[in-house]
Amino acid sequence: MGPGDAALGADILGAVKASITRLWPLAIAPAAFLLSSCEAPGGISPIFPTPVSPNGQNIFNTYIGISVPAIIVFVLVEAALLWVVIKYRRSKQPAGYIPPQVHGNFTLEIAWTIAPLIIVLGIAGYSFAELQKDFQPVTNYDFEVVVSGHQFGWNYTYPEGFTIQQEGTLAGDVQPFVVPVNKLIRLRMQGTDVIHSWWVPAISGKTDAVPGYDNFTWLKIDRVGTWRGECAELCGSGHSTMQIIVQSMEQSDYDAWVQKQKAGQS
Amino acid sequence: MAAVQTLPRPKAYDDTFWKPITLWLTTTDHKLIGIMYMVTGLLSFVIGGIFALIIRLQLSQPHLSVVDAETYNQLISAHGVTMIFFFVTIFLTGIANYMVPIMIGARDMAFPRVNLLGFWLVPVSILLYYGGFFTGGALDAGWTGYAPLTEKAYQGHSLGVDFWALSIIVWAISGIMASTNFLTTIVALRAPGMKLTRLPLFVWAQISTSILLLVVGAPLAAAMILVEFDRQLGTQFFTTQGRPVLYQHLFWFFGHPEVYIMILPGFGMISEVIPVFARKPIFGYMSMVAALFGIVFLSMTVWAHHMFTVGMNTYVEGFFMLMTMLIAVPTGIKFFNWIATAWWGSIEFTLPMKFAFGFLATFLIGGITGVYLASVPVDTQLHQSYYVVAHLHYVLFGGSVFTIFAGIYYWFPKITGRKLNRTLGEWNFWTLFVGFNGTFLIMHTLGLEGMPRRIATYANPAWAATNMIITVSSFLIAFSVLLFFINVIRSWYGGEIAGNDPWRANTLEWATTSPPPPYNFERVPPVRSFMPLRDLREAGELPAEPEPEPGSR
Repeated sequence: MGPGDAALGADILGAVKASITRLWPLAIAPAAFLLSSCEAPGGISPIFPTPVSPNGQNIFNTYIGISVPAIIVFVLVEAALLWVVIKYRRSKQPAGYIPPQVHGNFTLEIAWTIAPLIIVLGIAGYSFAELQKDFQPVTNYDFEVVVSGHQFGWNYTYPEGFTIQQEGTLAGDVQPFVVPVNKLIRLRMQGTDVIHSWWVPAISGKTDAVPGYDNFTWLKIDRVGTWRGECAELCGSGHSTMQIIVQSMEQSDYDAWVQKQKAGQS
Repeated sequence: MAAVQTLPRPKAYDDTFWKPITLWLTTTDHKLIGIMYMVTGLLSFVIGGIFALIIRLQLSQPHLSVVDAETYNQLISAHGVTMIFFFVTIFLTGIANYMVPIMIGARDMAFPRVNLLGFWLVPVSILLYYGGFFTGGALDAGWTGYAPLTEKAYQGHSLGVDFWALSIIVWAISGIMASTNFLTTIVALRAPGMKLTRLPLFVWAQISTSILLLVVGAPLAAAMILVEFDRQLGTQFFTTQGRPVLYQHLFWFFGHPEVYIMILPGFGMISEVIPVFARKPIFGYMSMVAALFGIVFLSMTVWAHHMFTVGMNTYVEGFFMLMTMLIAVPTGIKFFNWIATAWWGSIEFTLPMKFAFGFLATFLIGGITGVYLASVPVDTQLHQSYYVVAHLHYVLFGGSVFTIFAGIYYWFPKITGRKLNRTLGEWNFWTLFVGFNGTFLIMHTLGLEGMPRRIATYANPAWAATNMIITVSSFLIAFSVLLFFINVIRSWYGGEIAGNDPWRANTLEWATTSPPPPYNFERVPPVRSFMPLRDLREAGELPAEPEPEPGSR
C-alpha cells in the first residue's frame, strides 16, 4: 500500500457520505412514486396491480421493502459513476497530471465486501420470513378447488362436484372462475399434459401445474370484482390463449350461482 | 482500394489474412481460429437479431399475426439459442482464443489440433440446430426446452427437438474441448516471469469461465441425451408420466453457470480496459481474482432459483434464495474496484472506455433486479413475466454485449492493424445505449402489469403503447448494429493504421506487431509485474510514443 491509499479511502468515504446527505431525497422520491401510483390503471406502472388477497399483499410489501435499499444502492452507484465520468476525465485534469498509482486499500475492500453482505442478508431474512408465512401448505381453508391445466385451458372442479371450464381463446372473455369473498380457498394445481402456470397478478404469484404431482396455492379475496391473468409457462401454440378470469361475489350471490351450476350440470 | 496501397501496411498483415481458403480450413493457428470463432459469433448475432426484430413486430400491437403462434414459438426459441449458444459464448471463446496465448506470452494454445476440432464442431452444431427448420419446424419450447413439452406426444410432427438436442450435445463437447485447452495453456505455457499473480485479469476470467464450462457442460449433454432417450427409445425420464421437474434441475445446473460463462470474460475485458484508459493500475487485483472464484463457486449453487414456482420445500427455496443473493457480494466487489480504479484517474473516453462505462451503468440495473428475482415471494410474481425478460437482457445485453463491444473496439487494432472509425463508433455507442435502454427499461413494467413472457400475442389494450415503444427502440438497436458492421468492414480495409501499442496499454499482446506474426513474438519480453508492457515503457525499452492529446482518438 502506498501513502496515497489512506487518502484515497478518505476521499471515497467522504464522497459517499456527501452523496448520502445530498442524494437522500432522490432515493426517497421514486419509492414515494411507487407507493402513490399503485392505483394507476394500465399504462406504465412500476408496481404490481393492487393486491386483493393477503398473500398478494405480503408479496407487494416485500417488493416495496426490497426497493428501499435497491433504490439507494442504485442511486449511489450511478452517482459515483457520473462523478467519475465528470470529474476525472483527462480534459478536466491539469496538463501533465499523473494519477496516483494506487493498487488497493484493504480497509475499503473489506468495507465494500461487508456492506453488501449485510444488505443481502437483511433482504434474504426479510424474504424468508414472508416465505414461511404465506408459502406453507394451508390447513385452515374453507374449501378446496382442483385447478387442472391442459392444452389449452383450465378446469376448476368445486367440492359440490361441478366443473367450470375455461377453454382458451383470445376472441373474447372466458368463463369466470367464481369464488366467494373473504373465504380462504385452497387451489390444488394439477397438470394433465405439459407444465402450465396459474397466475393472476392482483391475487398472488404464480403456481405451476406440473403433471405427476399436486401443487398448492391459496387465495382470500377481500372485495367483489373481476381479475384477469394468463398461463405463465410456455405450453404450446395455444399458450397465449390460456386466459384466466377470477370473479369474486358476495356469499349469497355465490350460493345462488352454485345452485345454478349444480342444476345445469346434473 | 488505391488509397490503401499508399499506407504503410505491416507485412504480417498480409501474412495473416490473405491465406487461401484451404489454409483457413486447416489452420491450427490460435489467432486464425479465434477470428473464425468471432466471425461465426457475429454472424449468429445478426441472425438472432433478425429473429428478435420479427418477434418485436409481432408484439408491437395486440392481436397481430405477423407470424402464427407456432412460428412465433420457433422464433423465440431460435432467438434464445442463437444468442446464448452461438453468439455470446462462441464470440467470447474466439476473443479468448486470440488473446489468451498472446497475453501470457505463448506461441499457441496447448493443443492446437483440439482447438481446430473444437472450432469446427461449432458450425456443425449451428447447422444441426437450423436444420430443424427444414424438417417440419425447429424447437418451439423456448431456448430452455422444458420437458414434457419437448416430448414426442406434443412434438410428433417435427424433428426440431431432436436437431436441437443433438446440436447442444455437439456444442457442449466443443465447449469442453475449448475449456480443457484454455486451462492447460494457461497452466503450462506461460512465459518466463508470468507467475499466476501476474496474469492479466482477462486471463483469470478465462480460467474461471473454463472451469465453469468444464463442470456444467457434461450435465447439459446428459440432459439432452436423456431427452433423446425419451423421444426415440420410449424411456420415461422427463415425460408426463416421468419427472418433468428433474429436467429443470439438470438444465439449470448448466443454465445458471452459463450466465457467468457469458459475463465473466466480459468482466475480464472491462478489467483490462479501465486501467489502461484511466492510467491507473487495477484497484484490488487479488480481490478481483478472489471475487471471480467466489462467483464460480456460488453460481453452481443457485440453479433452483429458476424453479421457485414448481412447489419446493420452503427451506430448500430459502437456501437457493440466500446463495443467489450472496452473488451480489463478489459482483459488488468487482464493481467497486472498477469505480475505484477510475477514481482519481486521468480518464480518456475512447470508444472501449465508453462501452465499459455503458456496461457499468446498465449492468448495475441487471444486478439489482436480480436481487428482487432472488427473493422467493417476489419471484413468484416476476417469474416468467416480461420483468424477467428485461432483467436477463440487462445482464446479457447491457452486460455481455456492451463488454463485447468494448473488447472489439479495444482489440480490433491489434487483430487487424487498423483502428475502428471514431465517428461511426460514437454513433454506434450512443444509438446502442439509447436503443437498449428504450427497449428494456420500460419492459420491466410490462411484467409488473402481468404480461407473461413467450406469449405469441395479447388482448390487453393497456400493454399496446409500451410494446410499441419497445418495438421502435429495438429497431434503433438494429440501426446501431448496422453502423457497427459498416464500421468494421470499412476500417478493416481502410482504417487508420494503429501501430503496435495505440492505447499505451499494460499487457503483453501490445508488445508484438499488429497483427501479430504467426509465432506471436520474435522475443518474449520479460515479465516483472502484472503490467509488463508498462514496465518496459518506463524502463525505456519500448520506442517512446508521445501521450496523445485528449479527445484526439
